[in-house]
Amino acid sequence: MSRKIVIDPITRLEGHGKIDIFLNDAGNVERAYFQVPELRGFEKFAEGRPAEDMPQITSRICGVCPTAHHMAATKAVDDLYQVAPPPAAKKIRELVYSTFYVEDHALHFFFLGGPDFVVGPTAPKAERNILGVLGKVGLEIGKEVIGLRKELRDLISLAGGKVIHPVFGLPGGVSRALTEEDRQQFVAGAAHAVRFARFSLGIFNDVVLKNPKYVEWILSDTYTHKTYYMGLVDRNNRVNFYDGDLRVVGPDGREFVKFPARDYLQHVAEHVEPWSYIKFCYLKDVGWNGFNEGADSGVYGVAPLARLNAADGMATPEAQAAYEQFYQTLGGRPVHHTLANHWARLIELLHAAERMQELANDPEVASPEVRTIPRETPREGIGVVEAPRGTLFHHYQTDERGVITKANLIVATQNNAARIAMSVDKAARGLIHNGQVDDGILNLIEMAFRAYDPCHGCATHALPGQMPLLVSIYDPEHRLLRTVRRD
Amino acid sequence: MKTLVLGLGNELLADDAVGILAARSLRRTRPTGVDVVETSVSGLALLDFFLGYERAIVIDAIQSGKHPPGTILEFGPSELRHVVAPSPHYTGLPELVTVADQLALDFPRQIRIFAVEVADSSTLGGELSAPVRAALPELIRRVSAQIRARQPPACPSRFATLP
Repeated sequence: MSRKIVIDPITRLEGHGKIDIFLNDAGNVERAYFQVPELRGFEKFAEGRPAEDMPQITSRICGVCPTAHHMAATKAVDDLYQVAPPPAAKKIRELVYSTFYVEDHALHFFFLGGPDFVVGPTAPKAERNILGVLGKVGLEIGKEVIGLRKELRDLISLAGGKVIHPVFGLPGGVSRALTEEDRQQFVAGAAHAVRFARFSLGIFNDVVLKNPKYVEWILSDTYTHKTYYMGLVDRNNRVNFYDGDLRVVGPDGREFVKFPARDYLQHVAEHVEPWSYIKFCYLKDVGWNGFNEGADSGVYGVAPLARLNAADGMATPEAQAAYEQFYQTLGGRPVHHTLANHWARLIELLHAAERMQELANDPEVASPEVRTIPRETPREGIGVVEAPRGTLFHHYQTDERGVITKANLIVATQNNAARIAMSVDKAARGLIHNGQVDDGILNLIEMAFRAYDPCHGCATHALPGQMPLLVSIYDPEHRLLRTVRRD
Repeated sequence: MKTLVLGLGNELLADDAVGILAARSLRRTRPTGVDVVETSVSGLALLDFFLGYERAIVIDAIQSGKHPPGTILEFGPSELRHVVAPSPHYTGLPELVTVADQLALDFPRQIRIFAVEVADSSTLGGELSAPVRAALPELIRRVSAQIRARQPPACPSRFATLP
């Protein structure tokens, strides 16, 4: 039966995500579609601008992870000018990036994941928010989260100027060296971050892992897909957010391919669907084989769970112990359960905090040598980082003056798009039966994509925890049965 | 009174820049006792910006479709829920106020929001549309007046106590 599905354009300012659920005659799900509004046209916008402006400009396209865009762009201009930053500059960048990770992951867990897990997936809607989380973990914890985030943001400002639009990375280094006094502030902030990360994992342990019902959700087939996974790894195949090679593991957990950022176009391709603006990334070496799991489908995942799956371990000791517990509890590597992203995110929070501590305690970060002056003629530059929400590519081609002639960005949500679409479809199929749809079920479907923490279009500004969403349910004749809008 | 003027929006996206541009212009006037800040973040992440201020004035774009572009709307945080299709920049603002209240944070007790109805807020690299551009001076004037409105008089007692 041929069917025409019209997806209404979603205005960027409204920034609504959209789920369309089509029921069959039996009242079960025929197919569910998840759409995110996407920022389009950035590549065109970049053309004709100096590449060295990209770290500032690209950090403005996203109010959620400006630091990730800033860092990917900075690495792309390093590559463009073929210049390696001095060791101190590299360490300062990673220190700032780790600080950003702690801040971002902490916000996500308590404000966005928290309502699903700390409060509970089937708790009344009125309680599934940050206030419900605070009610459960205590107001002091809320103050602690807010206090820590402020401290970390102040540290980022100290090193890099404005937090939201860092004026920090330059081709070949950073704009300013850290003083010994600055370094001491980072040491203090890092100690605080490590304590907080341990505490957060403790909460996860007590509230989630000790609750058999929650563990059952995590392990349920409804939230499971056996796909490929991608993530940056260091030379020992340990998780790294700032630098390294991209490693892809198969659904069996074995290394499928490992490649430097420079070769990404040989391995990543984009598939277009008529019902979505977003381009769905897939592995070129496997090919696009529809929204399917398994070794024959090029669909892959990015973000916390994928990063842990793609690596052989964490680079810091306490996070490594947490990593081992994670795989022991969930049945070995890889873990295919989407909701395990929340746990993986907290392990990464600890990793980022420990890494922050290692770097802050390294006297070299206070070295004045923070810049290598570029001398080569620019042509092409590719930079990659792990944004909190997944792998982020920036790719620029320029003329000999460094003016951009072509730009290509692949953001985290694009890498994850196919897997997210599959997750929403599978959750809808697994949870809706005989036309029964209530608020609790819709929340359980939303949980399938919230675990990924998708940025619904860079620059929508809509904040984690507040993703406005429009859910529409249609009968077999495609008549609209019900619309639920969440602002 | 320690006052924050917060311009929200994205200056790369046509009319969405209006809050940012107004804030930038106000900063040049160097109002005393006032911090003027521009940002593109929203909701709970905005909390950091508000902490430590007694009063806040928020400037933003809005696309309700109910007013001609360039219309300047003014409201308090409690009225936000009644504004149809608000900008996502402050989807979290009422919640933010509640969180701050519950946690007894040092949060502004007075919040005033100025929002300009926009025509185009999605064209990357776009200019302000004509009606929004035309509204900018009036917006700045009204925010300036609001800044001055609750400002205590400039040290009148100093003269009074002179011998």
